[in-house]
Amino acid sequence: MSGPTQNGPLLKVEDLRVYFGKARAPVRAVDGVSFGIQPGESIGLVGESGCGKTTLGRAIMRLLPVHSGRIDFGGQDIAPLRDRELRAYRKNVQMIFQDPYGSLNARMSVGGAIEEVLRLHRLGDRTSRRKRAQELFQAVGLDPSYMDRYPHEFSGGQRQRIGIARALAVDPKLIIADEPVSALDVSVQVQILNLMKDLQREMNLAYLFVAHDLAVVRYVCDRILVMYLGKIVESGTPEEIFTQPTHPYTQALLSAVPDVDKGLKARHGGSDRIVLKGDVPSPTRKIPGCPFHPRCPMAQDRCRAEVPEWREIRPGQWSACHFAE
Amino acid sequence: MTQSNNMLAEVKDLRVYFDAESGPVRAVDGIDLAIGQGETVAVVGESGCGKSVTSLALARLVPEPPGLYAGGEVLYEGRNVLGMNEDELRDLRGNKISYIFQDPSASLNPVFRVGYQIAEALRLHRRDVKVREEVINLLRMVGIADPEERARVYPHEMSGGMQQRAMIAMALACHPKLLVADEPTTALDVTIQAQILELLTSLQNQLGMAVLLITHNLGLVAGVAHRVYVMYAGRIVESGPTEEVLTRPRHPYTRGLLDAVPRLGGTSERLKGIEGVVPNPARLPAGCRFHPRCPLRQTVCEEKEPILEQVDAAHASRCHFWQELSET
Repeated sequence: MSGPTQNGPLLKVEDLRVYFGKARAPVRAVDGVSFGIQPGESIGLVGESGCGKTTLGRAIMRLLPVHSGRIDFGGQDIAPLRDRELRAYRKNVQMIFQDPYGSLNARMSVGGAIEEVLRLHRLGDRTSRRKRAQELFQAVGLDPSYMDRYPHEFSGGQRQRIGIARALAVDPKLIIADEPVSALDVSVQVQILNLMKDLQREMNLAYLFVAHDLAVVRYVCDRILVMYLGKIVESGTPEEIFTQPTHPYTQALLSAVPDVDKGLKARHGGSDRIVLKGDVPSPTRKIPGCPFHPRCPMAQDRCRAEVPEWREIRPGQWSACHFAE
Repeated sequence: MTQSNNMLAEVKDLRVYFDAESGPVRAVDGIDLAIGQGETVAVVGESGCGKSVTSLALARLVPEPPGLYAGGEVLYEGRNVLGMNEDELRDLRGNKISYIFQDPSASLNPVFRVGYQIAEALRLHRRDVKVREEVINLLRMVGIADPEERARVYPHEMSGGMQQRAMIAMALACHPKLLVADEPTTALDVTIQAQILELLTSLQNQLGMAVLLITHNLGLVAGVAHRVYVMYAGRIVESGPTEEVLTRPRHPYTRGLLDAVPRLGGTSERLKGIEGVVPNPARLPAGCRFHPRCPLRQTVCEEKEPILEQVDAAHASRCHFWQELSET
């Protein structure tokens, strides 16, 4: 099982597995995932809670031990990195979180929080760090005169801007953004998404954009990976995923998202919504065959027995369903 | 639109303030709202707009203090809710108006079995039924498999979607005429959201109850509500039939919200959104409360607050320039 690989990806993940708990009955949070990210590319990773999307992001940051598989950054395996090399790696790969309030030190001024990142990475002296923090404040649309204020003095949207400024401080090549806008109001959400798009273009950043909201991902990403129970079940461009989804799980996700246009249309023609039965099964359970078959509206005998192959359905669009076409 | 005759619940010029060090915070500041029998009405707005406080006021559930009902009235079947005594309020809450909230795990008591908690509502309000049987019936009605088994588990043994089903069973135990659902699916995964929405719609048809849906999600509003009220900074800025408001918005805030929502059928073209942030309710701007963020503001907007004007019989907007807002 190998994902689509191209020449010289920035990040390459191969057959990655991250397990938690007892070896006899592990929670297979990430269960054989492969994909690549090109420099400047933004990849959306979507799925529901418990699908492993956050774990995958954290494993790439090397915040979690990996069970098996390989993560290469710039052609180099990141598993053996220690101390200085690891710090250099994390300078290239930064993270933005859902709740910026939880990721900012309440007792440190927000300017100080940015300067701290630079100090930890041994960049510049006191004056140049201060100056860099001011530039970053401006870059994310905040007034540098607010630098001496504390996190509680800012709104949710402003805090997320601070989180972004801090991630950008060390000139990363890849940013892993874990649900960066899901705690924000709609009007503020757009401001942050637009900011992220602008910064990406200006700095040639690559994003791994982890989210549950398909519409948000469509807006930001060049390519989308759909994850279910620790596995990627479909990948393709937003266009492909949204207009010709081939995996029944992607189809169900798309049909379940409350959407203004779809909602208004359904008032006239009735709804063709696919409602999946049941909950996501526990990831400790080993499911024979296709992991989605217990909830799949189209499941056949074959799905209960045989693991579907990860195959290219049309150029660039991959799917793990026996009946995808 | 708000004739008193067959309205189930009505809110007239309601004002709910909160005490704060800096002076009263006008969370809900003179709103009118009506819900007909069996109707689905949505109140939509961003955090802090007053939508949840409005919904709590329907059963006088805003804690006093720090809350204060500073003016206006709330009517349920023509009776003044704010003038009711404790016994009357207890009868209203649960028996006539039920609530479900965003986070079911916060509304369920972790130390009691789920069945016991549903039975509690029955024991309080419905002495006529066989409690055990009715609990099982309710669990079955909300689509919980093995209801006999499930009645005996504790909330933490259930998934989020299952907990929300249990909450709905509890809310429906006394056949309320009005179900207030405050962000009922926000904490749930999309595939589970779809299940809960389908359940709510089918139960509503089956039981003929009215639903007041409090949400920030316009997609949800588009799919289920008959009528919608858009709230901003404690005021209703636009109201009308859902399709009318969402396809021909007559207030720049509604239009901004619609522009800000990423659409499934959209492209990656830049979204417009709304500048700035929601005002602090303790320091509301003069004139129209939306003017600092409004792309269409004129001098008059900074000086004079617009009234909620009828666009047509059912559609109203609180904007000086609603006539100039062309169809989008």
